[in-house]
Amino acid sequence: MQSNFVKAGLFAAALVIAFIFSWEIYLRNNGNTISYDDGEPLWSDKRAKVYLPSDQATVFIGSSRIKYDLDIPTWENLTGDKAVQLAFVGSSPLPVLFHLADDPEFKGKMIIDVVEGLLFGSNPMMFKRPNESIDYYKKRTPTQRASFQVNHFLESNFVFLNSEYFTINRYLTELRIPDRSGVMGEPLFPKEFGRISFERQRSMTEEFVKDTNLQKQVKDIWAFFGRALKEPPPQGAKLDSILQSIKVAVNKIKSRGGEVIFVRPPSSGPYLMAEQKGFPREKYWNKLLKYTSTPGIHFKDDPATANFVCPEFSHLSPEDAITYTKALIRTLEQKGWKFPYKPAAQKQLAANK
Amino acid sequence: MLFNSYSFIVFFLILLVLHNKVPLPWKIKKINLLFASYLFYALWNPPFVILLWLSTAVDFFVGKKLYYAEGDRNRKFLLVISLICNLGMLGFFKYGGFLLDNFVALMSVLGIDYQPAKPNIILPVGISFYTFQTLSYTLDMYRRKSEPERSLLDFSLFVTFFPQLVAGPIVRPNQLLPQFKVPHVASSKQFVQGLMLLSLGLFMKVVLADSMLSGTADAVFAAQNALHPLDAWMGVLAFSGQIFFDFAGYSTCAIGIAACLGFSLPDNFLYPYAAVGFSDFWRRWHITLSSWLRDYLYIPLGGNRVKKVRIYWNLMATMLIGGLWHGAAWTFVVWGGLHGLYLCIEKFIHDVRKKHAPLQLETITPAPVVVQGYSFAPAFFKKVASSNFSLALLTFFLVNITWVFFRATDFTTAWRLLSSMFGNVSNGAAILTTVAVIKVAIITIFLVAFHWMMRNTKVMNVAAKMSWWALGIIWAVMLIILLLTQYSSSAFIYFQF
Repeated sequence: MQSNFVKAGLFAAALVIAFIFSWEIYLRNNGNTISYDDGEPLWSDKRAKVYLPSDQATVFIGSSRIKYDLDIPTWENLTGDKAVQLAFVGSSPLPVLFHLADDPEFKGKMIIDVVEGLLFGSNPMMFKRPNESIDYYKKRTPTQRASFQVNHFLESNFVFLNSEYFTINRYLTELRIPDRSGVMGEPLFPKEFGRISFERQRSMTEEFVKDTNLQKQVKDIWAFFGRALKEPPPQGAKLDSILQSIKVAVNKIKSRGGEVIFVRPPSSGPYLMAEQKGFPREKYWNKLLKYTSTPGIHFKDDPATANFVCPEFSHLSPEDAITYTKALIRTLEQKGWKFPYKPAAQKQLAANK
Repeated sequence: MLFNSYSFIVFFLILLVLHNKVPLPWKIKKINLLFASYLFYALWNPPFVILLWLSTAVDFFVGKKLYYAEGDRNRKFLLVISLICNLGMLGFFKYGGFLLDNFVALMSVLGIDYQPAKPNIILPVGISFYTFQTLSYTLDMYRRKSEPERSLLDFSLFVTFFPQLVAGPIVRPNQLLPQFKVPHVASSKQFVQGLMLLSLGLFMKVVLADSMLSGTADAVFAAQNALHPLDAWMGVLAFSGQIFFDFAGYSTCAIGIAACLGFSLPDNFLYPYAAVGFSDFWRRWHITLSSWLRDYLYIPLGGNRVKKVRIYWNLMATMLIGGLWHGAAWTFVVWGGLHGLYLCIEKFIHDVRKKHAPLQLETITPAPVVVQGYSFAPAFFKKVASSNFSLALLTFFLVNITWVFFRATDFTTAWRLLSSMFGNVSNGAAILTTVAVIKVAIITIFLVAFHWMMRNTKVMNVAAKMSWWALGIIWAVMLIILLLTQYSSSAFIYFQF
């Protein structure tokens, strides 16, 4: 009986190891690459980096647009500045803005990505993920930090460790069993739409950039959200209240010596048209800058960024993200932002070449 | 530290090597285990280790004095010191906010506007479990049921032994302390069985509770509007499965981890959803808590050796306190009260039947003690009276009603959900996807069927009868599904108790 259990254990171990390697090889052969879990532990790891000296780091908050559009290697190579990516997909930047504004130790540079529908929105789902992550960061235990380090090592080596795409629940959802009327199932983004780097940058795969069918799947999802979220843009006192809360938070950061700037990244096609219709620039973007007395960079104001075509209307391709990041750095410098480590970074870049 | 975390795997591997492979004196191994247990606990919130030390020191020294002290007054005084220390900590950390809220509500009823500062009390993980564990030692000393423990090291390990420290099983002194007296190292069979139980526990927790069921339960219990009856029922059944897989999963992990180190812990769950009636349910669900409540509360209150009315009162009081043990909210008290009511009704029916037709009783009453080593086989079904299965389903149905109060954050949510479940609303919203409904339905059917098939046996007995290759395949499938689930580590529900 004793050997029966031991034999079963050894047999199970052999089967599991065989499965892991077969599965890993299969996924790699299908063009899948390493992608990290963009959950609370990874966000908390980056959140802890906001205390770097202000001349060495810039914090980015917002939504998926800045996660796709900011090419972090380009940013870091050209500025010598660490990019601390704290944006959340499909979320409002406000919880993180308020959280950092209330942290007296944060005195650094901050770039706020403005997607009007999210910045001025009030749907609870837009706040859920940021609030949960902030809560996780505040309560992070030593064991969670240790687990994160082990997880980082494993995720860096195994493609199959991808909690977004290669899980049983994902495969069950892919069966696309029709739902009852009135039930709002979660839309499925194609796997090629998002690879996540350890620095929390999201990138489309080459296949996605080329394949218009994949792009159409995502466009359909935007249309679905457009139909599902019928929240009217805030106006009057409601809008003023949002602007006032942003102003207070921004002023708190500025009063400690920090710098803040708003950035409106590119969108295109019908998505951009819907945004322009729902949130006219004059009433929202311009008012935001004026009300908060804070500078801003709108993609339409720079000829280098004004005419990007986003593959799925809302985010830039990896190639365009590099162009956009370079243009963003140039504009920031024109607006007086200093990157003291830029010469050293560029020297290093030249040496590497 | 969570069993379902990478940091635990590293911690456990180091400890396994130190304990099972390095030739160290037994005392050093126990010191290692004690240090590891404190580390295991401290990695949540280091300052709370002080509470463990306090509880250990008070119960060790007071317990010893209590055993040898002469005179009733002296002994009662010592008992009160221990109770104040243990229950005082539990009361402050767990029930402080609850008591304050109720005091404010009472003042409001009396027309007094009292607005105290909201206390920001963090609940130390597992405080209810280790408090009950140390209390059992003190009460045993008071009753002179066993000799006091002489070794502070062994006693500290009894209080802190990490596999069961934060969510049980609640171990009695005589179950664990003797194991620390002689060297324990896992045999290869015990080690492999321990790993198997650990795998099974993680499968229950990560795959079934967290990945398959928790989302549905959360969505339904968070709904702000009335629901379609199908959605309401699926949400409650999902929670029913989630709470079982979560808690039984933890206990299974704990038993498996202890086995890997050469120790044995008592069973905490024996297929409770196959229970026929509520006394049977409480012999199968959270066994170490229900037996604790029986031995240290129900029996001292008089148990069933008193007048009938008093028996009903004892049952109800025990279950109400059991409910409050789970959480500082009136919803938990109602949950306990419902179980108390069910037990009273069951006892009443039992007494009436006994009076009128004592022989018929055998057909509906389950065996009082679960038969060990009973093989599960198709022939088993033939022996089962169909009426018993119907009664098991009725018990399961009634248990689900109680879970509504257990899971709902307030009575408004509980009533809304109960109204939705019984179709007492019009145009209830459909919120669950078809995939979610199918997952809950399949898991619930398998859960009840599996419990029914296994109700008179144990998983290890079944595993021992299987061929090595079949067992290996089942084990591997479980691990592969676990790997493919990739659910972020989340805390076990019972940690909050």
